[in-house]
Amino acid sequence: MALLPIPGARAADEAMPAAHVVPLRALASPQLPNAPARELWAGVHLPTSVPATTLQRLALRAEAYTPRVSLEPPDGLLLEVKGSLHLFAGAAGLRLAVTDECRRLGMPSIVALAPTPRAALALARAGRSHAVLEMSALTGALAPLPLAALRWPEDILGRLARSGVRTIGAALRLPRSGFARRFGAAQLATLDALTGRIPELRDAFRVPLRFRRRRELTCELENHTAILAALAPLCAELGTFLRARQCGVLELECRLGHRHSPPTRCLMRLAAPATDAHRLAELLGERLAALTLPEPVRDCELRSEALVLHRPDCLHLWQPGEHGGGLLSSEASGLIERLRARLGDEAIYGLMLREGHRPEAAWGKTAPPSISAGSRTPPGHEPLRSHRRPLWLLPSPQPLPVEDGLPRRRGPLLLIGEPERIETGWWDGGEIARDYYTATDRGGVRLWVFREREAPHGWFLHGVFG
Amino acid sequence: MDGAPKLARLLEHPAIWRGRSAARLEVLPSGFAALDERLPGGGWPRSGLIEILIARFGSGELYLLLPALAALTRATEARWCVWVAPPLMPFAPALATAGLALDRIAVVGGARPLWAFEQVLGSGACDAALAWARQPKPRELRRLQLAAERGRTMGVLFRPRSAARETSPAVLRLALTPLASGVRVTLLKGRGSDRGTIELVWPPGAPGRLQV
Repeated sequence: MALLPIPGARAADEAMPAAHVVPLRALASPQLPNAPARELWAGVHLPTSVPATTLQRLALRAEAYTPRVSLEPPDGLLLEVKGSLHLFAGAAGLRLAVTDECRRLGMPSIVALAPTPRAALALARAGRSHAVLEMSALTGALAPLPLAALRWPEDILGRLARSGVRTIGAALRLPRSGFARRFGAAQLATLDALTGRIPELRDAFRVPLRFRRRRELTCELENHTAILAALAPLCAELGTFLRARQCGVLELECRLGHRHSPPTRCLMRLAAPATDAHRLAELLGERLAALTLPEPVRDCELRSEALVLHRPDCLHLWQPGEHGGGLLSSEASGLIERLRARLGDEAIYGLMLREGHRPEAAWGKTAPPSISAGSRTPPGHEPLRSHRRPLWLLPSPQPLPVEDGLPRRRGPLLLIGEPERIETGWWDGGEIARDYYTATDRGGVRLWVFREREAPHGWFLHGVFG
Repeated sequence: MDGAPKLARLLEHPAIWRGRSAARLEVLPSGFAALDERLPGGGWPRSGLIEILIARFGSGELYLLLPALAALTRATEARWCVWVAPPLMPFAPALATAGLALDRIAVVGGARPLWAFEQVLGSGACDAALAWARQPKPRELRRLQLAAERGRTMGVLFRPRSAARETSPAVLRLALTPLASGVRVTLLKGRGSDRGTIELVWPPGAPGRLQV
């Protein structure tokens, strides 16, 4: 059905005197002022800073009041309560219930109600626990609030304050086009969302999904193979669970219960979200083989950490390594996990540069290289360092025997070229003062040696050129 | 007259098999023209096991590989370059200076280097992998060679000079002797290449070159 303009309404609109329209309506809602609000939002502001997990716990509890809960980190929470007002004795009752909920978690809170989420939050953040139920009352309630309640960037607030605009009402009175040009389109959009001129779409809070299944065994098991077989149905169940939700796990814990001892725990951290039950079972097998069990196992349990959304790899036309074929993240993460399962979590790492003149402080270990599939931008050429550095560094300098003031290592060492002086680190206790030389030994191997500047002027081997 | 192009076209026929081009290897230029000339296919083989025999650690074996590794890690579709159980710590600033992209390098430490090397080679996640081994058994070498071909990885295994007398399934075997500002490369085995010795001199400004 097409909506046709109603001639009467249009005439009334045009007949409205221009002077009436200019100041307040310049930014105010195009909705009819008397129309009933379609939504009612409760904005919860927590004046004391809370960790993200506490906010999530509060959001979980807030789901008792409405199915539409939205987080506003770091200290805000929004509930759409239009449908559930009558269940909690109206706006006052609901506000009381939400405040009580926060108090039970040990947090003071300010709760305000308004027809738009942004307005509810602004009221709460300004410390006004008003309940604005009608669209018509909204602009009036917002007008006296300080602009700081909108959490705009400091420089914009400063510029507005210098031009005498300190309240939301004053900002709403400014002409739209000039406002967008001078203070940014994002700020105008906030004002529009505030007054309901444009609807604001909010992401709903979703309870993080976890997998948890336990299985009692009919007899006590000691054999690792038998335990793995007993875990197989749980793994299969986990696979189905993940496939149905298109999710993967990053952390999986396996608990094996005993008669007397505390349960044996086996934690697996995966390099990339895993969805394949077979692969998980294989990794679990690797881990279990390394475990020593204090007692036979009576029951087993699989628990996952919060699930993460899984995006399957695109398959390439080319095999990896063929012309045009790149790295597949499944292969890379599989490799990392196999190595970690057998050799320990520290088995594989990447290398990174650090700012520092001391050779030992110029590099560091980091996480294994990213396993993101597809192309990347190759790095630009590093600025060529003027100093020679060996390809291998000893974990710590190794003292060399000295004869006639010159170092020896399987015979006398031949020093080549000018020394390079490294003298730094006095500020953090790792002070060094060394003259580094390149030296060759009898076999033609080139070494990086240094002589300490301090007495007793010892010679040390610090690197090999490769 | 125009016999040569015709002959070349005739030899392109898939039914004709010639010893020298037997492998039709996919190769990677080594960065040293003199070496490329002598290597089968004109460079390092992209997949398969390469054995480099050295009398002592630090004989210039890494400088020989650095140009190729730099090219591999800097490619847009680069896979990883993994160092398995290196005897000392690879020094990141020197690698970066030589042109290697550090975000594609991983180091695997710890026990069981041969098992880890086989996993790395066969995973398909790596362009190149380097490993240091004392005395691998012939059976293990065979497994490594198969894994490298499966994963299309250039696997480089550094072994002592004494291993030259043993047989090996590797695609390419070289022995190195350090020289004053270069290295002497002895080709021990290569598919379709002749044996011989090449003396390489590090180009001026190359990281392997000594500044005297």
